[in-house]
Amino acid sequence: MASTVGSVPPEQPLFRAVASSTRQIYQLLKCISFSPKVHVQLTHDGMRFTAEHSRVMQGVAFLDQSLFTTYTLNLPEDSRTQPQFQMNLPALLEALQIFGATDAAARAAKTDADPYRSNLRNYRPDAFSHQTLGMPGTCCLMYEADGEALSVVLEESGVKTKCNMTTYTPESPDSIPFDREDLTFKIIMQARWLLDCLSELAPMDPKRITISALTNAPYLRLSSGGALGSASVDFSNSRDLLETFSVRERWTQGFKFDLVKSASEAMRIANKVSFRGDGQGVLSLQFMVEVEGGSVSFLDFRFVPYITQEDDESETAEDEDD
Amino acid sequence: MTVMRFTLSEEGVSALRDALACLSKFSEEVSLEAKRDRLVFTAINLSKSAYASFAFASHRFFSKYQYEGIAQHRDKFFCKLYNRALLSLFRNRSGDPLHDRERDTTIERCDVAIIDEAGKKSRFIAKIVFRNGITTKYQLPFEVSPPVHAKFEGDQATNSWSISSRTLRQLMDHFGPGIDYLDIHSEDDQVVNFTCFTEKVANGEEVLKKPLHTSIAVERDEFERFTVEEDKLHIVISVKDFRAIIQHAALLGSEVSASYSMPSKPMQLKYDGDGVKCEFLLMTVGERGAPGQKGKKTRGGAKAPTGPQLEATTSRANSHAPTPAPQPTPQPQPRRQDQMPSLRPPITRPTQRPPPATLESESLFVPQDNDDQWAPVGDNEDEDEEENDRLGWDASGDPEPSAMKMRSMMSNPSGVRPRIEDGTNDNPSQFEPTQRLSDVRKFGLFGD
Repeated sequence: MASTVGSVPPEQPLFRAVASSTRQIYQLLKCISFSPKVHVQLTHDGMRFTAEHSRVMQGVAFLDQSLFTTYTLNLPEDSRTQPQFQMNLPALLEALQIFGATDAAARAAKTDADPYRSNLRNYRPDAFSHQTLGMPGTCCLMYEADGEALSVVLEESGVKTKCNMTTYTPESPDSIPFDREDLTFKIIMQARWLLDCLSELAPMDPKRITISALTNAPYLRLSSGGALGSASVDFSNSRDLLETFSVRERWTQGFKFDLVKSASEAMRIANKVSFRGDGQGVLSLQFMVEVEGGSVSFLDFRFVPYITQEDDESETAEDEDD
Repeated sequence: MTVMRFTLSEEGVSALRDALACLSKFSEEVSLEAKRDRLVFTAINLSKSAYASFAFASHRFFSKYQYEGIAQHRDKFFCKLYNRALLSLFRNRSGDPLHDRERDTTIERCDVAIIDEAGKKSRFIAKIVFRNGITTKYQLPFEVSPPVHAKFEGDQATNSWSISSRTLRQLMDHFGPGIDYLDIHSEDDQVVNFTCFTEKVANGEEVLKKPLHTSIAVERDEFERFTVEEDKLHIVISVKDFRAIIQHAALLGSEVSASYSMPSKPMQLKYDGDGVKCEFLLMTVGERGAPGQKGKKTRGGAKAPTGPQLEATTSRANSHAPTPAPQPTPQPQPRRQDQMPSLRPPITRPTQRPPPATLESESLFVPQDNDDQWAPVGDNEDEDEEENDRLGWDASGDPEPSAMKMRSMMSNPSGVRPRIEDGTNDNPSQFEPTQRLSDVRKFGLFGD
């Protein structure tokens, strides 16, 4: 690999992507910030960030190349593998936050002066932001060569900030197997409702959450029990709660509550969630995030269930009776 | 078997939430008592110096209310629940502020059922149906144990006033930070003073850090009604409790009425909302029989609500200086008693003796229902039983604390309260530290 890198002229870095705003990138990456290390894969379509937790939870944020104004990946002719590395995610998020800091500060100052702005569309770039006035800043992600640091170069109103972040050799990037051919159920609904549902369960301080998809009422049930009592949330199918609903057979699995909860940032920003479970009990949550300009990005989470034990089954059965 | 079930509308849920939030400031646990005509939530704090009760009328407050009762006691059911769980259950759900779905996440109705059956899971079950079709079901465990009710002798409370809760709420804005006590006293016919202060650092070895002493004078006209028999009566209550009460009262916007007799007897605050009756009893200390609460010291210790009372009593005297109280000379006297026990050895002794303390605490707050209907539930703990047994007792029947009170009142011949002196022909400072109540009756303090 080293020899091929040597053949790339310095003015042609292996990877270079320029964006005029880091907001979407930051938002998407923040959703998978439950683990400090993140695995990055560079493809022609975009950047794929994968975070995982103890091999039982995995979160993938895909930054489509449409999020960038320029996106170039100069793969050597003879290379068969895609460049990949590991890096520290909090550091990257920190670096991305620098971008727009001056703009944000200016906006905050304006907000104080003008209360109208404070409650309406404060998050949108207004007509007088640097971006619209034609003096946009740029955020450039650059990966010179395999094994080099990932540089984030932020240029904004005359200030240029360069952050070099060390990259690491990737660990085995096995993803959690999810069998799309063997789906037991598939539900599409508003992501917000999933978030509401978790916030209903959270006060009982639960350790685990049981997710059941049923062919008859209540169709989808999330339940948990903790020291304070137990709680369950039912989604009845009657009022367009569930956009798509197909269940092949009864599916009940338990997951660690804290892990599912760590996807809540994604539930907050996403519009829709596709809720799927396969024959092995793996849960997949795929979030569709609409970004400004109408394009969509996807966040993908997978969870490995607890091993189902006999007494769990009986407990669930008992809950059903109540 | 279902003991009872009721249904709340969204407004009902929010009214219940407000009540529970108020109760949570008194105790972690809340006692529920259900009868055919009403549902009562009560809480009593750890030091038993404050008691709160909210009674919801079954026909007005609930959209549906059905009481079945259980085999042993048909007429009422009681249990204790952990308030934090209840609060999270009835908490305010906000919609997504960025979208117009706000209405969707709010509550359509809330069905509550209490199931209690031997050998099966007894649960408080709340089912909340949201407008968007999501249904949440909570099951909370509860403990079947009788509630402790505080007793207030209304006929002895000669002093009373009532005022709009909003006015009180505004007064509270002037309370400084870090204060513990509120002293209510009327100066003359025009003004009522609300003085708030703290004793926290004053009693420690540290330098006095918080000598803040805020006095708010309120025109008598602000009160709807003001009847205080005696002049210069200082009645001191805990600000923390008072604040909790007024915050809730201001939500209802109703008129708060207070009635009390004298320091070291409870003060009652009450007000009504739509279908709900709120009543609070707060222990008081004050300028008249100041150190009468000594027994509490032993028990109090770490707990804020008790400790304060005591401290308030003892050192109220010196902190009192800034207020325009007309009797500065006698004030230090009760304090001296405390600090020089060698001079008056018998006085300090009750302080070190725990039994009077417990006796006193129970005597102040008498669980009201000590009748035989509790017998079946008696298998809880011995402690409860014992308490129940003793409950037959009335506050005024306890010789020990009242005697102490008397003693201290007598030893404070300041004329804080002229009536005492009128009744007392003996030299007050000659009194024995403890006395029988019957001996003391003749002073006219304890109207039978």
